[in-house]
Amino acid sequence: MIPGIGHASVLLGLALTAYAALVFVLAGRGGDPRLVRSGRRAVIGSFAAAGIGCAAMMISLLSHDFSVLYVAENNATTTPPFISAISLWAALEGSILFWTLLATGWASLVLWRHRDRHPVLMPWVGATLALVNGFFFAVLVWPGNPFALTSPVASEGLGPNALLQNHPFMALHPPLLYLGYTGFAVPFAFGIAALVTRRLDEEWLRIVRRWTLVPWTFLTLGITAGAWWSYEVLGWGGYWAWDPVENAALLPWLTATAYLHSAMVAERRGGLRIWTVALVIATFTLTLVGTFLTRSGVVASVHSFTQSAIGPWFLAAILLALAGGLTLLVWRLPELIGGGRPSGMVSRESAFLLNNVLFLGLTFAVLFGTLLPMLVAATSGATISVGAPWFNGVTVPIFIALLFLMGIGPALPWGAASMRTVRQRFGLPLLVAGVVAVAAFALGLRAPGPLGTLALAAAVATIMLDEVVRGARARGRTRGEDPATATWRLATRNRRRYGGYTVHLGVLVMAVAVAVSSGMALDRTVTLGPGESASIGAFSVTHERLIVEPLASDPRVIETRAELTYAGQRSGSLRTALRDYPSSPTAIATPAVSTSLGEDLYVTLLASDPVSGTVTLHLFVNPLVVWIWIGGAIVGLGATFAAWPERRSVRVGAEQPQAMPDAAQAEGA
Amino acid sequence: MRYLRWLLIPAVVIPLGWLLFTGFGRDPTELTSPLIGQPAPEWRLRNLDGDLVASVDLVGEPYVVNFWASWCIPACVDEHPVLADAYENAGVTVVGMTYQDTVIDAQVFLARYGDAGYEQLFDEHGWVAIDFGVTGPPETYFVDADGIVRAKQFGPLTPELMEEHLATIGVSP
Amino acid sequence: MRWASVVGIGLLAALVAIILLRPAPPATAADRAEALAGGLRCPDCAGLSVADSHTASAVEIRRQIDELLAGGASDAEVREHFTDRYGEWVLLSPSAPAWWVLPFVVVIGGAAALAAWLVRRRTGTSPVASVSAEERRLLHDEAEALDA
Repeated sequence: MIPGIGHASVLLGLALTAYAALVFVLAGRGGDPRLVRSGRRAVIGSFAAAGIGCAAMMISLLSHDFSVLYVAENNATTTPPFISAISLWAALEGSILFWTLLATGWASLVLWRHRDRHPVLMPWVGATLALVNGFFFAVLVWPGNPFALTSPVASEGLGPNALLQNHPFMALHPPLLYLGYTGFAVPFAFGIAALVTRRLDEEWLRIVRRWTLVPWTFLTLGITAGAWWSYEVLGWGGYWAWDPVENAALLPWLTATAYLHSAMVAERRGGLRIWTVALVIATFTLTLVGTFLTRSGVVASVHSFTQSAIGPWFLAAILLALAGGLTLLVWRLPELIGGGRPSGMVSRESAFLLNNVLFLGLTFAVLFGTLLPMLVAATSGATISVGAPWFNGVTVPIFIALLFLMGIGPALPWGAASMRTVRQRFGLPLLVAGVVAVAAFALGLRAPGPLGTLALAAAVATIMLDEVVRGARARGRTRGEDPATATWRLATRNRRRYGGYTVHLGVLVMAVAVAVSSGMALDRTVTLGPGESASIGAFSVTHERLIVEPLASDPRVIETRAELTYAGQRSGSLRTALRDYPSSPTAIATPAVSTSLGEDLYVTLLASDPVSGTVTLHLFVNPLVVWIWIGGAIVGLGATFAAWPERRSVRVGAEQPQAMPDAAQAEGA
Repeated sequence: MRYLRWLLIPAVVIPLGWLLFTGFGRDPTELTSPLIGQPAPEWRLRNLDGDLVASVDLVGEPYVVNFWASWCIPACVDEHPVLADAYENAGVTVVGMTYQDTVIDAQVFLARYGDAGYEQLFDEHGWVAIDFGVTGPPETYFVDADGIVRAKQFGPLTPELMEEHLATIGVSP
Repeated sequence: MRWASVVGIGLLAALVAIILLRPAPPATAADRAEALAGGLRCPDCAGLSVADSHTASAVEIRRQIDELLAGGASDAEVREHFTDRYGEWVLLSPSAPAWWVLPFVVVIGGAAALAAWLVRRRTGTSPVASVSAEERRLLHDEAEALDA
């Protein structure tokens, strides 16, 4: 009954999106404006249909209805309700169902928010989004049906993937990632609509910037939460392994970041229309490529979904999106060339554009590295690996160049810079960088990588702070405001700029934390009997006892647990375990992490001897890792600040707050 | 000349489509072994009964080395009768190598799924597995009478695959 | 602010000099083993290096690295020991230099193209480029109207 309702709702969703695509195209070709309203209702209806589908799947999971193949393969009678609920997105078909819910949600939100505006663009936006969502519904109807039934009905299911039931973060990072991925369909739809209707103008840039910034924020948070999840769950002491599933999330993030920067130049100086719309098309295509790579089984990955027939469908979708976008782009090319004011070789816009070159270079490097094993296999038949040493070696220099640019860019004026301004603005940052580096060296930091990153980050932070102080001081002088008020008003009147600085600050925090945590981590493997201790860094870890028992929440899972205490700069107790899941041939490690702002003590149980009570432990001391997550949160805050809706009357040229009438300022806060 | 820009579309779409398409039907974890055409690694291991067995004892006859583990279910269970059949009916020497395993678990496996009687060695530390370049059970290597590796099976054997690989070392069923 | 940049550059240069001039401690066998293990792929895990993994194979490969180094093998010989068994797959970074260089070629080529574009836009302001988008759209619409 419930699975039947779920399947029917998916069919209904497919019908509604097909109808919506049809009426939107008719409306776009000059049909009755009421068609737009009808299409919008159909899209919102498809969102409701996807919602019913997800609800049906969740009920099937919570009630352990093993007549549904997906439930039988990913659930067991002993699975706790929380794990059952999040299993909605833990495997292939369910994740596409959940994806479709979010995608139709974005489409409904866009069409509803812009229901009274942009009458030329919106029918084509609606048509594109309906086509994209129709594709996902079609996948759910044909190759990836989540409600496929099985018979005879088993009395017990296989249970969820062991790795996915080990940490509550599984509830958090996939939804964030999917909100990011699915959201990038919106700028793509606006790009297609603008190319079709020849409305690739300033208004287009303004709309698309915000509809890119919001999913970008979700994707950033999703990538950070995913890294945190792997740190807390996978037990090897790290958080990023350049696995294809990680690269799949990084690729659209890189092009979307490039777009957000190029859009500023386009808005400020004009031109760049081919470039910005190409980035928007590339970002959406890369979300499909990432989905294809992780769900078709063509690359080896730590988190490949099970192989299935959906690969060819996604490949067709990728090629269709790419060919369609490119065709429109080439068709409109003569109208899009040119425009824009000239600028100097050293100027803020040239820094922004160099930023784009670097971000696209990174995109190329990550895509190339991910696909290289396929390319070599296809051409020579050999199997090769492209792993962390290659990705680090190639991307770290580009990331460092970006960090440089992050400092230089905001300090350069638009148009063209004179040597005098350059000298004036870079004196203090150089001094701060030198002092910070020498101080860190004196305090015992010797590794060149972390030292250099720290010095660079200090310089970039000084430049940004200098910018904020200059602006606030000027405002305080002209308006007689105290520094705090002046800073806040300056920021809220220039949300994009100061939100951007906050994002940059978060990136700096992350960069330092990544450099220090990867360059200065300690680790050692020890074997301890009960009551014995080992030291690592400033910590002493004592093995208290070994316990083997079934898990209280799921008695089919046998947990071998080492109970430890530690002392040093702080003290406490830790429990690290190996869990034997019936669905997994090898035991799953559950690392224990004691986090602090300075350094994490991270312990993984490798092996144990139940007779003597001896355990083999991998001990890590990872400095500053928590700042990676904090940096991610700062980026999220900054981006939210930048994307926060402004009152339309307040939105004037971002750089000249003094040009605005006082009345609007007074009520705008 | 102005129509040249249309070439951009196939120039991007076709290579990408071709590359991604080549991925279908190929297992990205499957390795082609550098050992094919090379002398087989030598080994000296104890069998499950504790007796020493060495590869030099097999010189001059073709043999099959099968890496398995008791926890490798269902793949190792599925191919188990295929190996037994080759040993019993084709008369080829088969050497089972259980690794990442315990002697007890391996014996329980054989008791449950049938022991055809061919040599079962215990590769306790995975020495031999690493020498053969094994990534995970089951993997099977086919060595001819000159001691040269002629074929490798990645994943479970089927009767058809067994026949095909045995032919490379001059054994016909 | 000129003094600030001089002092800053001076401090940074001094630090770089100290780091470069400090005699680097000779790489111990343990350091070499760690570096080699970081570049080898663990055969029975998903994409991790031997250094980051504790599977039976990873433990055994680390033992073999130690043994080979103790026997006087060079880093290249240790890598060859494993590529003889697993093929190039066991190396986490592909050995062909072209695959290391290509991303940088793309970045440098992109930067050069950007510089050329900035120069052209600055010097050769063609009459087409000075027409605004609005004007161009009107022109286009008129042309289409004439065509029809």
